[in-house]
Amino acid sequence: MKIISCMKPVPDPASRLIINETKTWIKDQDLTFVASEADNYALEEGLRLKEKHGGEVIVLSMGGEEAARVLRSGLAMGADRAIHLLDPKFKGADEFAAAATLAKAIEKDGGADLVLAGVQSDDLGTGMTGTMMAEFLGWVHATVVVGVEAAAGGKSLKARRELEGGINETVELPAPAVLTIQFGINQPRYASLKGIMAAKKKNFKVWTAADLGLADDAVGKAGAMYEVKEILIPEKKSKVEILGGTAEEATAALVEKLRKEAKVI
Amino acid sequence: MIFVVAEHKDNKLKPITSELLVFAQRLSRDFNQPVTAVVLGAGVEPLADEMKTKKIDRVMVADHPDLAEYTPDSYVGVLKPILEQEKPFVVLIGHTTQGMDFAPRLAVSMRHPLIAGCVEYEKQGDRLILTRQIFNAKMNMKTAVRGGPPYFATASPGAFPADDLEAGGNAEVVKVAADSVSSRRKILERTGVQKGKADLSSASIIVSGGRGLKQKENFDLIFELADAIGGSVGASRPVVDAEWLPREYQVGSSGQTVSPKLYIAVGISGAIQHLVGMQTARCIVAINKDPEAPIFKVAHYGIVDDLFKVVPALTKIFKDLKSA
Repeated sequence: MKIISCMKPVPDPASRLIINETKTWIKDQDLTFVASEADNYALEEGLRLKEKHGGEVIVLSMGGEEAARVLRSGLAMGADRAIHLLDPKFKGADEFAAAATLAKAIEKDGGADLVLAGVQSDDLGTGMTGTMMAEFLGWVHATVVVGVEAAAGGKSLKARRELEGGINETVELPAPAVLTIQFGINQPRYASLKGIMAAKKKNFKVWTAADLGLADDAVGKAGAMYEVKEILIPEKKSKVEILGGTAEEATAALVEKLRKEAKVI
Repeated sequence: MIFVVAEHKDNKLKPITSELLVFAQRLSRDFNQPVTAVVLGAGVEPLADEMKTKKIDRVMVADHPDLAEYTPDSYVGVLKPILEQEKPFVVLIGHTTQGMDFAPRLAVSMRHPLIAGCVEYEKQGDRLILTRQIFNAKMNMKTAVRGGPPYFATASPGAFPADDLEAGGNAEVVKVAADSVSSRRKILERTGVQKGKADLSSASIIVSGGRGLKQKENFDLIFELADAIGGSVGASRPVVDAEWLPREYQVGSSGQTVSPKLYIAVGISGAIQHLVGMQTARCIVAINKDPEAPIFKVAHYGIVDDLFKVVPALTKIFKDLKSA
């Protein structure tokens, strides 16, 4: 099976995020970037499928040096090679432009049997890019996947999807397909020292917009379907009553409120 | 025209459908546009009859045996020609597992913008500015769509409260021809959550624990508090992912949706996926040391302190009350 796993660089979850001067994004110059958490689950699932069925796993990312870093971590985990989409023109892409660019890269690499992506990213978090990519490629897809099985040498896939209310749905889909992988599907492996050393010798392609045959107005900010007007911290509409004092005082006050005011106990 | 794609399950409209209609009614007033709701399925005319009593202008029904089960291919296949013909201003879809399974495909197939996870909007001149949450609801992003309509938007569950839905309509019901549609993705099986002692849907008091408990053993604090107060135990997703508790304890969009009279959230920061599963509780108490935790936005009472001090103190009070 040829499996391409997408990895999005996002600020390390421990970072303190500050909105930039133009209020159109966060100040990202001094942040450390890591792979979006769900993308690690996706890559782990890809590595397990390869271990079972053979083939290769390619990691794919778009961005500057932060994307290269994320791709190296993917190679260290066990991916066979990496594709880095690097071009200043890619900056400012929305989900639409990102999906179009990633889809073109997948086509340029000769397609795949399976493309994996995390269910949603840790930054925008809308869960659109994987599904949009499937539409650009003209492939079938499944979202929120919590289990994958491949049959017929990777030509047929079974995916278990997690629906609301604890319901799971198992679907069958023909390859090539795009799956978006849910958190918790597996336990992503850590890169070993051997893996980190081996990663340095692996094939690492770098492609620009021109390499992909994409026009300037189809990528990055120019290719986006929306413009960011403002990023802001949401106003608190809450009416929460904070009970202070020591733990004993606060809990005593709480029980009093629950009995006399809310009347729920 | 404001277009709403209804979501339904087991012959009932899902709550998100009412919320989408609320969103549509507000847009309708602000942009002076009529509202059309569309329902896809097999034998869904009763759902159309239910929607037509709301203050909207038209209900379209695409009824076909092939639409008995939702698939992305069938929804895109049926909706795209309708939208190309009707040319709506905005198309509203739920930011739900189902909505987010087909909305991105539909928007890309028509090469029109999709703003996913909307919580609010504003009108700037004639322009529609849609606001959505980013960075796990820590920030909001206001977006202006580019190009001509239709603009697609998925609405976050809970953002447009269904209580505001205006009735008093007598919308026309229109049947649309739905030809047979084939789906590349086939549904093989559907399985439900095992109902057991963790069936929280009927619990009147729930004590839920989150990642703030730090390790599995500490969850005993939650069980002890629940026991003292006479409630059931729930958990947030990270707790279940870390295998501290089985999946059936999970409260939230991918777990159980609960509506108890009292919900005590301990060490739960309140990711949107958790909030949608419990925010209709009559009384919500949050115990968390981070005063910025989003859980405090939906809570009625809060204690900002170390849960390892607060929870034992609370348990002691309830134990004393019981023995008194």
